[in-house]
Amino acid sequence: MNSSIIRFILGNVLKIEGLLLFLPAIVSGIYFEHEGLYYVSVAAVCLILGFLMTRKTPESQVFYLKEGCITTALSWILLSFFGCLPFYLSREIPSFADALFETISGFTTTGASILSDVEALSHCALFWRSFTHWIGGMGVLVFLLAVIPLSGGSHINLMRAESPGPSVGKLVPKIRYTARILYVIYFIMTVAEILLLLAGGMPLFDALTTSFGTAGTGGFGIKNDSFMSYSPYLQWIVTIFMILFGVNFNAYYLILFGKLKKALFIEEVRAYFVIILAASAIIFFNIVNTCSGIFEALTHAAFQVGSIITTTGFSSVDFDLWPETSHTILVLLMFIGACAGSTGGGIKVSRFLILVKTVIKEMNSYIHPKSIKKIKMDGKCVEHEVVRSTNVYLITFVIIFSVSVFAISIDGKDLTTNFTAVAATINNIGPGLALVGPTQNFGHFSVFSKYVLMFDMMAGRLELFPLLILFHPAAWKDLFTRRFSQK
Amino acid sequence: MPKIRNPIHTGLSIIIVGCGKVGSTLIEQLSKEGHDITIIDHNAQKVQEVASQYDIMGLAGNGASYNVQMEAGIENADLIIAVTNSDELNLLCCTVAKQVGNCAAIARVRTPDYSSEAAYLRDRLGLALIINPELEAAREAARILYLPTALEINPFAHGQAELIKFKIPEGNVLSGMSIAYLGKHIAPDILICAIERCGEVHIPSGNFQMEAGDVISFVATRKCSKHFLEDIGFKTRRVKNVMIIGGGKATYYLAVQLIHMGISVKIIERDRQRCEELSTLLPKAVIINGDGTDPELLTEEGIEYMESFIALTGVDEENVLLTLHARQVSNAKVITKINHLAFKGVISRLDLGSVIYPRYITSEAIIAYVRAKKNSMDSNIETLYHMFDHRVEAIEFRIDEDSKVTGSPLMNLSLKENLLVASINRNGSVLIPSGQDSIQVGDSVMIVTTHTGFKDILDILK
Repeated sequence: MNSSIIRFILGNVLKIEGLLLFLPAIVSGIYFEHEGLYYVSVAAVCLILGFLMTRKTPESQVFYLKEGCITTALSWILLSFFGCLPFYLSREIPSFADALFETISGFTTTGASILSDVEALSHCALFWRSFTHWIGGMGVLVFLLAVIPLSGGSHINLMRAESPGPSVGKLVPKIRYTARILYVIYFIMTVAEILLLLAGGMPLFDALTTSFGTAGTGGFGIKNDSFMSYSPYLQWIVTIFMILFGVNFNAYYLILFGKLKKALFIEEVRAYFVIILAASAIIFFNIVNTCSGIFEALTHAAFQVGSIITTTGFSSVDFDLWPETSHTILVLLMFIGACAGSTGGGIKVSRFLILVKTVIKEMNSYIHPKSIKKIKMDGKCVEHEVVRSTNVYLITFVIIFSVSVFAISIDGKDLTTNFTAVAATINNIGPGLALVGPTQNFGHFSVFSKYVLMFDMMAGRLELFPLLILFHPAAWKDLFTRRFSQK
Repeated sequence: MPKIRNPIHTGLSIIIVGCGKVGSTLIEQLSKEGHDITIIDHNAQKVQEVASQYDIMGLAGNGASYNVQMEAGIENADLIIAVTNSDELNLLCCTVAKQVGNCAAIARVRTPDYSSEAAYLRDRLGLALIINPELEAAREAARILYLPTALEINPFAHGQAELIKFKIPEGNVLSGMSIAYLGKHIAPDILICAIERCGEVHIPSGNFQMEAGDVISFVATRKCSKHFLEDIGFKTRRVKNVMIIGGGKATYYLAVQLIHMGISVKIIERDRQRCEELSTLLPKAVIINGDGTDPELLTEEGIEYMESFIALTGVDEENVLLTLHARQVSNAKVITKINHLAFKGVISRLDLGSVIYPRYITSEAIIAYVRAKKNSMDSNIETLYHMFDHRVEAIEFRIDEDSKVTGSPLMNLSLKENLLVASINRNGSVLIPSGQDSIQVGDSVMIVTTHTGFKDILDILK
């Protein structure tokens, strides 16, 4: 294995994190908060380590899939570790496990918090918390690919490991430009949201953090009641942007280049909107009696559906108080998740489409045992390899899910709490139901359960296998194997 | 609809249809030069493999289909290169592409039926180039047989001059001689432009001493080169007879040329039907139906008495072994065709003598075309050769306009290191330049250099 390229990439990740850590430091300067010092010192450590690690450019820049996966997993762990240090050192989150939980929850765009009083945090901590969503949403390695010139084409394996979805395609022939286009779209949409929120009378700091949370489909709020106290206009803006960030970015690329028609015909995007409409309608009729008006019911239904299916996790109302039908719909949406190639989490709409089509195909094969039928998406055949990996993905997901539910049940909480806590973390949503509902938090879990949930968040964001690879003994053996030499 | 350009576009955007041997060589070479490449092949797995190896975009499907081409972005493409294994499909790809997009098109056409009509097809279909690797390989082999001392002969200045590579044998007068002495006393009208010694390539200066075992590349007109080689004690007589193993398309093209030159040709081919076809096409050649890899048959057909031996089968391993065998049992000049270069390092150590790589010949022509297309207005690339495993490039520029390099003597230009102005072709006569000569508008200038990626004559300046 090419361990020097892994070292090189990790070093660059640290350098980027070091630079990004200056942003909250600037915020602390504006608000005269002394916590900024911790951010600057951690940034300095990151930069020094980063420069040491990248001092020597590796001879071979060849990347195979295993290097891609291991680099991705390790860089996310490293990112989270250094990202949590300012919280821990400044004593704003005194326990290390809590600080790490909060940071992983940020980078994986989960938005599950262990804090009971968010408003007590300093501005720079709030900013950094939300900003981790923005970094984690599109992925730091995609950013790396956009800025660092790597020779050869094999680093598509990096992107493959970090980007969500069953199959990763490029928008343009060069990976570097693909990554840049993605970030440009991401950036423009974020700025658009910030401006629209400002227009609705939201203070700048709130607009920034909210937009970061929406763009990365994260969901950290800066208020204890998340989004309940904002005006309906702001709630609608956020609803729309949450849903937009859950759309496959390929669609935006097509729109950008004047192929609107083609963008509208992406099967996944259509299914995604159909699901949103159907779910909102059902919830609307289910809660319309309990709300003070039709418009309010519509706002809340749409906001919650948008928030959950895109795995953002903002809440405009305590949906834990809603009737069971709505609960069930929301829990189902948690698993479906957003589109592949978006910033959202979950199992992904495209995987479900493939699975549904596989089931139909299987039924067909009972009626016509000798029939041959290929599964198609967007009019093109889905390779058997993709179908197979989708199936394996689902099974692996179910196994990790079940084991996690069992592991945290040792704390002795009720099934709804445990089930939705794992669902909300592995799908990168944030709030669940009952004890982890929108007005509650994850602080009451034991340290062991927190580590289990951290693993779930990371596994969910990296789409399971890049993280699981780290548990394969061969990966570690290879990492420390030197090239054989006869001398 | 207006042409929408990728805003962060640097190289040309090129679509390659077919990722066989030539296709993948092109991908390797062109992606190194920084172009945006999209590959189309009907084999999804192959596309996947290539796409994860190089920084390109892959697309599975039929390259001649309108929809597939649209998806590959033909509207904004600068060039389409069709190199599938079917000539008809290649031509169709280019025809469709010409209708849809505003791009240049290059097609590979190698069947003898069409190749005689290549110029007609090119003009009628509006193609930029038609390439025929087999024909080019055959031409190269024929050139070598014409001057068997040479390892490699590349023509330029429309065939007026040649770039010839040969190896200095033990005890030759050249060994121990300096370049300056050679130029002054023996051969003033040739120019030594590159020397390979122990795996390293040098662009030599005047006091460089040649040694036995060096592989030397020099530029000269055809007449001068023959004199020079005779002067230093080589036989320059062309071969009288040749044995070719394998009866593919390249064999056919080669045999036609050799018979025309008056060389007697013997072809050994395994497939009986192909033998019959060849015998109809080449009535003057001796066609043997048998297994060319059988040493008994080779002896029976007189391999020991042959003056030259060419391995042109479709299997590289067979070609290499046949060549090694021929070197052992005879004194024939041997030429080996190698299609797919998986173990390049091993092959270059085997001392096979002359090796021809059809797919490199093709990709060189295409790269020359692509570089010229990207280029500014004052000069243009005519030909390009890669020498010594791509470590040296020989490029011929046509000078169309006045610029910094024109008009002043070469000694006054501050040229880059490891670079040589090897020859100037002025009004149809080739000139080996000295420091007093200057480049003028209308010339075509041959540059030999270890720098890669030159696109413009101005690149030679520091």
